[in-house]
Amino acid sequence: MGEGILAAYRRRAKGRRVNQHWRGFCTALALAVASLGALAQPAPQPAPQSGPPAAARAIDANGQLENPVLQGRFEQITKELRCLVCQNESIADSNVDLAQDLRRQVREMLVAGKSDDAIFQFMTDRYGEFVRFAPPLSAKTLLIWGAPFVMLLIGGAVIFRVVRQRSRMPLDE
Amino acid sequence: MWKFLLPFAAFVALVVLFAFGLSPKRDIHELPSPLIGKPAPEFALTDVTDPTRIVSNATLKGQVYVLNVWATWCVACREEQEDLLSIARQKVVPIIGLDYRDQRDKAIQWLQQLGNPYSAVAFDGDGRTAIEWGVYGAPETYLVDTHGTVIYKFISPVTQEVWEKEFLPRIAAARKAGA
Repeated sequence: MGEGILAAYRRRAKGRRVNQHWRGFCTALALAVASLGALAQPAPQPAPQSGPPAAARAIDANGQLENPVLQGRFEQITKELRCLVCQNESIADSNVDLAQDLRRQVREMLVAGKSDDAIFQFMTDRYGEFVRFAPPLSAKTLLIWGAPFVMLLIGGAVIFRVVRQRSRMPLDE
Repeated sequence: MWKFLLPFAAFVALVVLFAFGLSPKRDIHELPSPLIGKPAPEFALTDVTDPTRIVSNATLKGQVYVLNVWATWCVACREEQEDLLSIARQKVVPIIGLDYRDQRDKAIQWLQQLGNPYSAVAFDGDGRTAIEWGVYGAPETYLVDTHGTVIYKFISPVTQEVWEKEFLPRIAAARKAGA
């Protein structure tokens, strides 16, 4: 089966410059790297003063914080924390009791003037790294953060080999 | 040779990964507790049966004890209760209850109906103490050693078998180390 596809491919490639494969490959790789880079960047922080409209802000029944800056941070932090009961939801999205309790905790810590880092540390100390959707880069989390790049390298190497092999194939049968 | 061996090795690696990762024995809700090896968070809450009395784990320093998180809304806790009662009858260690996000009258009724395996039950109505312990469900059971360090956490109901296999050896070891 592979032979048939290859043969057809070679027939189509007839007359084209071999170089095109290589250029296409480079473009694809560059695109992949660029999109990965975009993904790896932290989510853009909303400008504190010009947050979303009030309707979108009311995350829970407790209403929103009076200070819009704190409210913005509250939304950002609760989106970043995993609800451990429903694991793939954040505590901002989930309505189970634990998520409500943890939102209350975040709210109180914000009002008490705690920093974002202090709040994340508080949660990590009690629930482990798993509570964060994007755990900070450390020796323990190196595998999670590094795996996409390793995969990209492996994939790139495979594509590189295939393209090189094909470019060496004679175009005429 | 490589052409055959590499994909085959990748296949074997995937099979091994899935055998562990997708094993039906593995409970994805079981999370490792960062509290293990750390000092047990202190609490002083009211006794569920008597709001004028304070239940605190500070008075238990120097003893090995068990903290069992339960609630009347927790179905698995009802299941666990019978085993806890028979474990309590063995009088190995004090079992402290933490009544998590519950209603007092319901909890009292539960203890009267099903029996009370606890040496004391602390009432954590708003779940604040539970956050300190990293509780994310019920039942959860913690083992604390003579230095007040959390040495073990068990998620889901404690059965006689779990008690003998997981708790008793650790209690014995903790006593030996503490003596």
